[in-house]
Amino acid sequence: MAAIELDGVTKRFGDVTALEEVDLTVEEGEVFGFLGPNGAGKSTTINILLDFVRPTAGSASVLGVDTREESKAIRDRTGVLPEGYDVYERLTGREHLQFVVEAKDADDDPMDLLERVGLDAEAAARPAGGYSKGMTQRLVLAMALVDQPDLLILDEPSTGLDPNGARMMRELVREESERGATVFFSSHILGQVEAVCDTVGILQDGRLIAKDSVDELRDRTEGGTTLHVTLADSATDAALEAVTGLDVVSSVSADGDSLAINCESDAKMTILNAIEDAGAEVADFETTEASLEDLFATYTGGDR
Amino acid sequence: MSGRDDRNMRSDMSGVDAALRDQFDWYPVAKEFKDAIRSRGFLVLSVLFTVFFMLPPASVVFGFFDFGPQGQDIGMQFLISSVYLNMVTLLVPVVALFVGYAAITKERTSGSLKLLLSLPFSRRDVLVGKVVGRCVVAGVTLGFALALTALFFVASELTFKGDLFGLFVLYTMAFTVVFVAIVVSISGAFSTSFRSAIASFFVYFYFTFGWNSLANGIGDLLADYLGVTGSLRWNVVLLVKLVNPNQAYKTLTNSMLAEGSNAMRSSRFGMFSQNSTQMQEICTGVLNGNATVQRGLFGNTTVCGESARSIPFYVSDPAVFVYMVAWIGVAAALAYYTFNIVDL
Repeated sequence: MAAIELDGVTKRFGDVTALEEVDLTVEEGEVFGFLGPNGAGKSTTINILLDFVRPTAGSASVLGVDTREESKAIRDRTGVLPEGYDVYERLTGREHLQFVVEAKDADDDPMDLLERVGLDAEAAARPAGGYSKGMTQRLVLAMALVDQPDLLILDEPSTGLDPNGARMMRELVREESERGATVFFSSHILGQVEAVCDTVGILQDGRLIAKDSVDELRDRTEGGTTLHVTLADSATDAALEAVTGLDVVSSVSADGDSLAINCESDAKMTILNAIEDAGAEVADFETTEASLEDLFATYTGGDR
Repeated sequence: MSGRDDRNMRSDMSGVDAALRDQFDWYPVAKEFKDAIRSRGFLVLSVLFTVFFMLPPASVVFGFFDFGPQGQDIGMQFLISSVYLNMVTLLVPVVALFVGYAAITKERTSGSLKLLLSLPFSRRDVLVGKVVGRCVVAGVTLGFALALTALFFVASELTFKGDLFGLFVLYTMAFTVVFVAIVVSISGAFSTSFRSAIASFFVYFYFTFGWNSLANGIGDLLADYLGVTGSLRWNVVLLVKLVNPNQAYKTLTNSMLAEGSNAMRSSRFGMFSQNSTQMQEICTGVLNGNATVQRGLFGNTTVCGESARSIPFYVSDPAVFVYMVAWIGVAAALAYYTFNIVDL
């Protein structure tokens, strides 16, 4: 059974077509990255999965259940981080969690979940109206984790998170995936999707233009993130060896005393440390990122 | 209290709670109540209600009004009919409007509705939760105000009639809950708080000032174009009048105040002001009464007295009460229908 199945889904808002004949299957246990620029229709798709929005044509099912028929049953087994949400400013972080625990008839300890997303007891006791954007995002992420959902739907989850928060979020996605949950994750940032997803779907102007494994995606976007390192000495071989062995690195090329390293977007420090540990000294470094536009160009044949 | 204690408490509650939970999820109600009770608006509302309701008996207690020995016995009725009746019908809907106009639209525009509907709640749960939650908030506040009012009545030199006051509380509570339910339902049917407020105000205005002409207009239409005359015409007009919660509340309270075997009839009859012939038609044909004409200083008045027949059940007090509270269901059902089909 597929975790998510869209069958010819079209959604029009008046004259505007937000989604056009989208067919999509997300397998159970998969970490699926839903990639596309702002306005591509990612949130509309998620809103259809949650029955916030009804498709103009086509049908959608989640965990084997039609979204129009049994939406409540779906949401009982799904953890959601929606987009454009707001919290209840007068309820504390802990009360938010308690509310979800009761709503889902779960037995999680609110404090455990808040700890997992990095909110401490002091924050938990404060009304959520006073939270920063990042704290709010962490709170809602914790709410999504209640009752070990079979499916996590995360709409632009790293919005408002600092680099530490973004790392925490990726860590959580990995943990939840290991537990057996399916994760559906939307983003307009290539690096994030690349870092955690098994499969990627690319949405542009309401059409699903590609669905690929993340490895294939990486191949096609050769140089997703490239770290250019210039060495102060000529210990190129030692550095090359050290870097090639890292699992965050997909390919390396050397040219004299400079290295071009294709790697995961947040692997910069790991790589630089490995180089220094190997006895080479870094004189200078610079990273370049393939943009989403580059990726679309690859998939659509360079029209853009 | 920890989550674990909470759950144990809940599992101890059996039967009714489980049955209710089958029908609805009540958690939105609990959350709604918790949330509302902490708002500044709630405090303002409580103070407003309490001050307004307490004022009449308090002014008697502190000697601003003196009813005299003869007035003491009917003083409470006098205050209810001359002060409370208008105060409740004018003030309560305005308060209801403030309590409820943004109940759903605010969550919809801010995005907290998305958070709520990400949880296993249906839109029906949310709507019912909002309606019940806000009604409870308004009801608790009003209950507090009425309890204090009762204390002041007891403390005053006026005779406190417990059964009468009890009915007044029942009708006033019902009327308040009806208006809150209508306003919250309207909030569910509109996309912004501004539109919801406008629509609620329009409904309030129409119920208060426009409905009678609607009722009479329907009567005229029936008579002029469809040839429906006599008692059938006036039956329809009376029923249309009674469907208005505002008029239902007034006639119920008047009937309560009249305190006699002819109370229902005379208060229903008091809802009309037609010419003498028509008034007699209404008395005998609709209310099964005995019409007599009394000559007074300002011309003839028709009085509708008792007869061998009793007033038809569909215009009796219990029926009128049912019409009034039926609005809660009607409003919620209409709101559910619109709320359920929209894209959020």
